[in-house]
Amino acid sequence: MKRAIPVLALSVAGLVPVWIYSPGAAHEGELSEVAAPPAQEQTQQQAAPQTTAPKATGAAPKTTGAAPKTTQQQQTTQQQAQNRSVSGPAVNTSEGTVQVQVTLQGTKIIDVKALRAPNSNPTRMALPLLRESALKAQSADIDTVSGATATSEGYKQSLQAAIDGAR
Amino acid sequence: MRRVEHIMGLPISVDLRDGDAALAERAFAWLREADDRFSPFKPGSEVSRLDRGELTREELTPDLVEVLSLCDWYEQSTGGAFTARVPGRGLDPCAVVKGWAVQRAADMLREGGATSFCVNAGGDVVTAGEPEPGKPWRVGVRHPDLADQLSVVLGVRDGAVATSALYERGQHILDGRTGRPVSGIVSVTVFCDDLAIADTTATAAFALGRDGIEWAAAQEDCAIFIVDEDRRVYSSPGLPVHIC
Repeated sequence: MKRAIPVLALSVAGLVPVWIYSPGAAHEGELSEVAAPPAQEQTQQQAAPQTTAPKATGAAPKTTGAAPKTTQQQQTTQQQAQNRSVSGPAVNTSEGTVQVQVTLQGTKIIDVKALRAPNSNPTRMALPLLRESALKAQSADIDTVSGATATSEGYKQSLQAAIDGAR
Repeated sequence: MRRVEHIMGLPISVDLRDGDAALAERAFAWLREADDRFSPFKPGSEVSRLDRGELTREELTPDLVEVLSLCDWYEQSTGGAFTARVPGRGLDPCAVVKGWAVQRAADMLREGGATSFCVNAGGDVVTAGEPEPGKPWRVGVRHPDLADQLSVVLGVRDGAVATSALYERGQHILDGRTGRPVSGIVSVTVFCDDLAIADTTATAAFALGRDGIEWAAAQEDCAIFIVDEDRRVYSSPGLPVHIC
C-alpha cells in the first residue's frame, strides 16, 4: 500500500499535463504518446477493463479449449483477488478539477478511472474511457426529449407531445 | 413559433425562437421532398428505382450518393452489423436518411438566419443557440423502461442528440450479419455536432449489440450514453450532462 502512494502521485502527475494540454497543430493520435509518457501505459489499459470486462467474461468459455489461454485465465483470476483501488486527490487545473482512481494489481496499475474530469475535448481524447454507473430515473424541466418517439402512435403518449401541447 | 408535422412516419417538431416563420415551412417542404425521393416505400422514389435496377450508380443524384456512401462507411465500420441491405429485403437507407435530412433542414434554418431553434424528429434532436440567454437547450433522454421518466438530461447549444432504443415498435433494429433482432443494449444515445452522424452512430451501435458500446465510444467527436440490458449505464466523459 505504501508503494501505491508514489505510484498514484506519479500517475496524477502524468495525467495532469494531458488535461491541460491543448492539441494545436499536433495530430490527435500523437496526444497520448507525446504529451504524457507516464500516462501512456495507463491510457492504453484503462479503456479495456471499463468496457471489455463484461465481454471478456462472456468470451471466456469459448477459449477454454486452448491450453495456454486457460493457464493465463487461471493466473488472471488469482491476480484479480489482489486488486485494489485507490482514489487520488482532487487536482485543480486550468481546465477544471481532475480526480482519478487507480486500480492496482500488486504494484502494477491495471486501470485508471476518472472520478472527476473536465468536459473539454482534450480530456476526451486523452481519456477515451467510459464511465460506468447504474441507471437512474428522473423527471426534470426540459425543452425536448430524445428517444421519446419512434412512431406517431407513441408520440401521442410521449413526453414530447406533452411539451408541444404545453406551449 | 412551434409546429409539428408527420413526415417519414415521424412526428417532426420545429421550435423556432427567432427568424422568419417561413423558414420552418421551407424546412418541412425539404423533409417532404426527402421522403418522396429516398423512401423505399414509395415506388417512384430514387431509392426504389435504384433497387429495381432502373437507375445506375452514375445516374444517381449527389444527395443519394452521399446517403449511400454514409451507409457503406457504417456497414464497413461495423463489419456488416449495420446495413442498408438486409439479406432478402430491398435497399433501405432509412436509418441514414432520417438524420441526414433533418440535419439539412436544420442547416436551412441556420442559413436562413435563425440562431435559436430546436428540431425534434421522432426523438432525434438538432439544436441551435440558446432558448434563453445563458441557458442551453435541455434535452432529456427518455428512460428505457419508464415512459414518463428521463435517464439523463443533456445541456446542448449547437449540437445533435440521437437515441436508438427498444421501447417502441418492438425490436426494430436488426443485426445485418444475422438478419435477427439484436440484444445486449436497450438504449443508445449519441451526442455530436451533426444529426446524420449521431443518428447513424446510434443505430449502428445498437446493431452491434454489446460490442456497440466500445465501438460507439471510439467514434470521433461523438459522446455516448448507453444502457445495457442489465441496466448498466456507459457514458463518455465528454457528455454534456445538464445538472438540473
